[in-house]
Amino acid sequence: MMELRKTLAGRIALTAVATVILLFLALPIVVILVTSFSNNAFASFPPEAWTLNWYKALFADGSKWPAALSLSALVAALSTVFSLIIGVTAATALTRSELPLRSAVYALVLGPLVIPQIVTALGLFLLFEPAAMLGSPIAIALGHTVLASPIAVLILIATLRGIDERLEDAAASMGAGRLTIARKITFPLAAPGMIAAAIFSFITSFDEFYISQFLSSVDTVTLPVQVYNSLTFEIDPSVTAVSAILIAFAILALGLVALVRWIGSGRQDSLLSVENTVGVASHGGEAV
Amino acid sequence: MAALTATAPARPRKLLASRKTRVGILYALPVVVYLLVLFVYPIFSTLLLSLKNTDGSLTLHWYADALTGVNLSVLFTTLRISAETAVLSLVFGFVLAQAISRLKPLWAGLAMLVVVVPHFVSALVRTYGWIIMLGDKGLVNETLAWAPGAPFQLLYNELGVVIGTTSMMLPYTVLLLYGVMRGVDRRLLAAAASMGAGRVTIFRRVYLPLVGPGLASAGLLSFILSLGYYITPALMGGPNQTMIATLINQQVTKENQWNGAAAQGVILLVLTLAGLLLVKAVSSLGASRKKRNAS
Repeated sequence: MMELRKTLAGRIALTAVATVILLFLALPIVVILVTSFSNNAFASFPPEAWTLNWYKALFADGSKWPAALSLSALVAALSTVFSLIIGVTAATALTRSELPLRSAVYALVLGPLVIPQIVTALGLFLLFEPAAMLGSPIAIALGHTVLASPIAVLILIATLRGIDERLEDAAASMGAGRLTIARKITFPLAAPGMIAAAIFSFITSFDEFYISQFLSSVDTVTLPVQVYNSLTFEIDPSVTAVSAILIAFAILALGLVALVRWIGSGRQDSLLSVENTVGVASHGGEAV
Repeated sequence: MAALTATAPARPRKLLASRKTRVGILYALPVVVYLLVLFVYPIFSTLLLSLKNTDGSLTLHWYADALTGVNLSVLFTTLRISAETAVLSLVFGFVLAQAISRLKPLWAGLAMLVVVVPHFVSALVRTYGWIIMLGDKGLVNETLAWAPGAPFQLLYNELGVVIGTTSMMLPYTVLLLYGVMRGVDRRLLAAAASMGAGRVTIFRRVYLPLVGPGLASAGLLSFILSLGYYITPALMGGPNQTMIATLINQQVTKENQWNGAAAQGVILLVLTLAGLLLVKAVSSLGASRKKRNAS
């Protein structure tokens, strides 16, 4: 495409359009962050005066937000644990063993990511309703795990594939048992990926709306369902503050994943560095 | 005797293989059992429910209901809004991916951050952001206050819904198309230019066929993902923008009409699977085309 629009005008036009599209993506988020500090929480931009009232209102007496927040945190924590257990075992099976029907297992794992979430939610509703489990945090967490565990599996497959199996072989050749290898080699190297998988499972559950809505009852309402309700039924200006907190939370989580990745990337290199030095040393004469 | 010596060395390998297989099955069990019980079984029971009469006999009348009258028009609305969303997110995604693929690495990274970060912010929150922005006193109408006809009605109509869903699908198309564009062998374009092809010809005859399958899959994918969308149409649309997911939700939570909801869920599922098959066909077409070009 370099060949197509080399003219200055073309380049400026493309940059301008691209900037508008980037604004299109970023502005809804920026607007919420700004409006959450505005004295008029409803659709007036830019704000005329600044206030922290919406944040204070979150924790006022009779506010529904603290209960929704703690339910969402509980559910997300549970489904993170479930997803990690499923993710670690499944990723091990898919990368480190000979599995019959491997592609069928893989397709099953991808299923929840491509099937419309409302269909999954409807199915779960039909499963939990006769069991009288609607509104149970466990049921909601089990439901969220259907969506979160495939993401954990995919992240952990990538993590395990990225670990040089020669490190494990080397440890085995020096007489380390399977448990020792797992504890001393595989786990430390996989830890950043596991943390990333945990964070993404947590966000997936924390933000999940469809399953929560179908499985919630009047008393158990997760944070996204409460946000939805306050946008449709009741007018509650503190929803702007909640939204801003959710945005900050997402950015924080992504930052954390990036940090963990960055720390983790150094680890395997340091373990493999011995081999590299040997490589350099053998060619030492010519190379240096 | 000869047979014995031939099998002897194979034995430990086979043992090792069977051990590895057993370990594999053991480790695969949790995910398989979990998804069979909480994902596959519920979908099958949805399918069963959609075929059951109130007295338990088999029937197709829930499907007949779902495909007539108001329900049919909701289905068409769903298809229309999804198509509009797919086209717009494809066009915007193409332009943005094109621009990013020409940036220096640092700027490209920053632009990608702006594309990816919103994707991880709850769709509900982003939809609310749009509601604030598109209102009568919102940022967009304030900016356009000089224009004749302002303030514009940008919410609670189809324009609002499509703006919202397009912004939700855009990260997918940008990421997919960026990957496709990075994969184009620029030597092919240079070769065409060296043989005297003009810009338009190169674009039409060389570049488009190369990125075409990627474009088609990205468009199809955003179409499929829009089909089951609920939050944005429900919050940013009017009564004429009711989509199939909204209807399913209403039937379950308000009308206790599970069979009808199940039939609509199955229709949505079938449409999605058909779309996925198309994506697969298109990408295998793309792979064969790439091979031919490279040879």
